[in-house]
Parts: sequence; structure tokens; C-alpha cells
Amino acid sequence: MIRFENVSKVYARGARPALDDVSVDVSRGEFVFLVGASGSGKSTFLRLVLREERPTGGRVYVAGRDLSRLSSWKVPSLRRSIGVVFQDFRLLPNKTVHENVAFALQVIGKPRHTISTTVPEVLEMVGLDGKEKRMPHELSGGEQQRVAIARAFVNRPQILLADEPTGNLDPTTSLGIMRLLDRINRTGTTVVMATHDDEIVNEMRKRVVELSTGSVVRDEIDAVYGHRESILPAVGQTPVLDAPGRDAPAVVHRVQVTPEPADLEAERAAEAAAARAAESGDQQPAAALPAAPAVEDRPVDQRPVAQAPVEPVGPPAADRVPEPGSPDDVVQQVLREHERVRAGREA
Amino acid sequence: MRLQFVLTEVLNGLRRNLSMVVSVILVTFVSLTFVGAAALMQTQVDKLKGDWYDLVEVSVFLCPDGSTAPTCAEGEATEEQIAELEQVIDTELSTVVEQTYFESKADAFGAFTELYPDGYQGTQLTADDMQASFRLKLVDPEQYQVVDDVLEGRAGVEVVEDQRAVFEPLFVALGRASMLAAGLAGVMLLAAVLLITTTIRLSAVSRRRETGIMRLVGASNLFVQLPFMLEGAIAALIGALLAVGGLWLAVQYLVLDWLQDAVDWVAYVDVGDVLAVAPLLIGIAVLLAVVSSVVTLNRYTRV
Repeated sequence: MIRFENVSKVYARGARPALDDVSVDVSRGEFVFLVGASGSGKSTFLRLVLREERPTGGRVYVAGRDLSRLSSWKVPSLRRSIGVVFQDFRLLPNKTVHENVAFALQVIGKPRHTISTTVPEVLEMVGLDGKEKRMPHELSGGEQQRVAIARAFVNRPQILLADEPTGNLDPTTSLGIMRLLDRINRTGTTVVMATHDDEIVNEMRKRVVELSTGSVVRDEIDAVYGHRESILPAVGQTPVLDAPGRDAPAVVHRVQVTPEPADLEAERAAEAAAARAAESGDQQPAAALPAAPAVEDRPVDQRPVAQAPVEPVGPPAADRVPEPGSPDDVVQQVLREHERVRAGREA
Repeated sequence: MRLQFVLTEVLNGLRRNLSMVVSVILVTFVSLTFVGAAALMQTQVDKLKGDWYDLVEVSVFLCPDGSTAPTCAEGEATEEQIAELEQVIDTELSTVVEQTYFESKADAFGAFTELYPDGYQGTQLTADDMQASFRLKLVDPEQYQVVDDVLEGRAGVEVVEDQRAVFEPLFVALGRASMLAAGLAGVMLLAAVLLITTTIRLSAVSRRRETGIMRLVGASNLFVQLPFMLEGAIAALIGALLAVGGLWLAVQYLVLDWLQDAVDWVAYVDVGDVLAVAPLLIGIAVLLAVVSSVVTLNRYTRV
């Protein structure tokens, strides 16, 4: 679905390449985490997939198209097969939830009746049923991200790119967003997510591609985030920030918040929608992840993967089956898992 | 769907940048009024030329008694001289001269008494005070010079006079006025282009969020840029229509109602001429808008 062949990207002549001879192959229906410090090339990777940039060297293939040969008037059709979600949501502040999602279909010229049926469907899927008329500023961060995901997914793209979609959200809300992305992945959509959130990566147990100064240093399936301190740059002791320095004590005091009731409600609604879809046999069975070639650039022992700071707890999140009819249980479960993950971290 | 969506976007854009849009309309209005005024003045000059050049003739005045001109050294033009001149006009100037009319002294006196039955400024004149002349009607009044070259300096010809010379100062004045208007129009058009460019840029920047999302979800280039182009075009078009309206009012009230009453023997520009200029003005307005949008949008909303 996405193939990078020895791709390099140099923004300014003489500058350090943002991507340096990167080869990655993402199959249809895969869920891939892209991890690495700021400036490691994650965003460049996503921009190349979207053809917002052209590679300086190498080939990029997306959805069967050779992007280096794609003429610019065909770029819109490429982008119609890709959905994108950002850390800052990028909703239109003067449009309602419904209008924001409908906008994505309007501007590609979809007929009105298609819009009026598709938008409520996708809003129900993300758990925002009944909030169509709200403005973005009336929603919590988690709900706004759900709108953004609905907008990205409303045209049923083959690929969903997410650039730190949980970067602005608290852990519990993030978990809800991840369950949503997972659900989208199960419909057969390829998901590539750039993130700094080790907790989420560890819990999801998906394929992880780690970039460092523009090179792939790790590509593992069913993987964990890795040693946080080796991925993120040392910034000294900052208990509030997510990135403690190398010498910081093992125990990190994270800011703990109680999730917004609205986010929990959205999560409940989304789970209920998924359950309904599963009951009516609408939903595709969870796609078995194709075995991606694990490109090991380095011997494993050189990487601190084995000493993951978090013990994998319980079954991977992807295997959880929501109990139909008891959405409250789901929320409780989310909260419990959150607690468990934190306990694991502090252990 | 598409059309309705684009129109909504256009309306929103126009509303959001109202003051800029108004200034675009005004600048286009003023500049196109100048363009139109220049065009109308040119039309007026052409009309006058058409009317008056049909009437004007080249007069070849023959030597009277006691003329001081060198060609009249032998005194009054003789019959032979007149016959010879007639011969020359018939042969050498046959292609240039459409009609020849010989006005004898008696004819001239007749015309004079008709004009001044009581004598001129109290002096009673006779036919002998008049001057005989050839009146030549030219095929093309502009070819006066050819006639002058052939006839001037011949024996018996005192002076060759082009009646057009009488009108020339008026035409020069009108020509300069229309040049002035065209010059001002040029400056104003430049201002209009810059202002439309700025307005479109402002509009594009203020809607960067929308256009960014449009590009991401795969809206085509045309779809992203069309609302901006239409905004510029609509503003310019309104300006052009105002200019046509302004010119129509000016022609109706200044020329037809007022000037024509005062001086009624002249053919003036009329409303039809304004309507003839209108497509030109609208065309210029649309061209302005399209050129400025293409230049700006390629820089600000490229995929």
C-alpha cells in the first residue's frame, strides 16, 4: 500500500537529509507506528506519502501509484485515497461538526444525497451522534479529534495517516482515540501513525518503525515503543513533560487528569455504534495483519528494546472485544487499563 | 452541489473582506471610467471628422489684382492660367480630387451678399473685391498635402488653403484630452491590478485553513482557486458595470441633455456609443481580475 524504496529527502542544499535512504513497505490493512524524536523524519515521511513533498532520491509508491512520476494534476485523486489526522485537529472553527465533516466531501464534488447519508454514518461511528450541530469550540479535545478523524475517514480512504493524533490529549482520551483508529484499521484501512506516546505504542502491540536522524533504525512487528530515553533527546529533569532526561529518576510523575465526561460519553457512543455494526454483521472481521518483512537494520541486542520500561499487560488492545449492550463496562475498562499501564510504568 | 458550494464560498469571501472588495470595486470603477471616457472622446473625434470632413474642401485661391505673392507677379490670374490649372487638376490630381468647382468672382460675391446683405462692417463691396478660386472636394480629406504640392507655386495661384486647418485645434484638443484620460486610466488600472492582487492574497491567507484542508482531502486545484478568482472577477465586474453606468449618465445628462441643447449642429456621442464601449470595459475588468488571480493564487494556494 505504501512502499519507500531508498528514499532520501534533502530540504536545503547542503543540509542534513530529513530522510536518508529509507526503505519501508507497508502492506494493505497494516497498522504502523512511526516513532522517533522530533526532527527524525516522521513528518517528512508522512508528507512524502501525501506528495506534499517530492523525494530527492528514491521512489515512493502509494496505493499503486509511483509518486515521483505522478503529474501534479493527479495529486488530488491520490489524496482522495488518503485521510489525514493532525495533532492540532485542524477543524474549521466557523463550521459545525456536521459541516466540518461534510466539507471534505463537498470540496471533492460529492453529490448532496451522498453527503447527507455518509456524514451521519461516520459521526455515529466516531461516537458523536447527536452532536452534529455543535461548534468545534464547544467540544473537548478528544471530541474535536474524533471530528477530525471522521473528516479524514468520511471518504473511506485506503490509507489513514495520523501525525501525533494524541499529542494534545490526556492519556485516557488518547486511549479512546486509539480504539477508534484501531476500529478504522479493522475495516481494512491502512493506518500509519507518527507518535511520541510510548504508552499507546506499548499497549497496541503493532508494527513499529523507528526513525532516527532520517534513517530507519528499527522495524518490528508486534513491537513496543522502545527505550524512551534513547529515542527522545535528553532534556534534563522535567517532571511535567513527557520526555525525562537520561539521568532522571525512573519514576516519572505524569500529570494525571480525570477525563472529560463528554469524551467518555463519545467513547461509549462509539463503542455502542461498533457493537451495533458488529451485530448487524456490517463490520468486516478483524483483518489479520499480513506478516510484514521485519527489516532489522541493527542487531536487536544493540537496541534497548528488550528492556522496555513497560511490562506488556494483558492481551493487546486490538484483541479486546467490546461487550455489546454494556458500554459503561467499556469505559470502566478503559480507565482500568489506563491505571494498569501507569502502574506498570511506575513498577 | 458544486456550484452552490462555490457560490456560498464566494459570498462568504466577499462578506469577510467587504472593505477591500469595495475598494476594488471603486478603483476598477474609476479606472474604467477613464478608459471609457478616452474611448468615447476618440469616438467623438471620429464622428466630428466624419461629419465635417464631408463638408470641407481645399480652396485654391487665384491671384487677385494687386497681390504681393511671388506667383502673382503678373497680376490677376488670366483665362489661360485658369484653364491650365483646370487641366492640371484633371490630369495630375484625378485620383485625389473627387469634384472640382470653379468659383468666379461673381459667384463669390453672390455667396458673400447672401451672407452679408448689408455689406461687411459697413463697407459696400463689389464683385471685383472678391477672389476667384477652385474648390476641390477630395476623395480623402487627409490627402491635402498632395494637392498643395502640385498646385502651390504655380503661376496664377496665390494660396492653397485647407479648410481642415480650421478644425485642427479642436481635434488636437480632443485628442490630447483623450490621451490624458488614457494615461490616467493606465495609472488607475495599475492601481486596480495591485489592489485586486492584494485583496485576493488577503482572502487566500485568511482562508488558509480551508484551502489547506481542501488540498489535503483532494480537492482539485480549480476547485480550490475558483472561489478566489470569482471574488476578484465579481468585484471587477461590478466596477465595470458602475463605469458603464457612470458613462451612460455622463453622456445622457452632460452631452445629450445639455451640450446638444447648447450647440446643436454637432453630432455627439450617444448612448449607443456607451453600449459599444461597454464590452471593452467589461472585458478589461475580467482580464484584470483573471491576470491578478492567476499570478497571486499560483503563489498562495498551490497544491
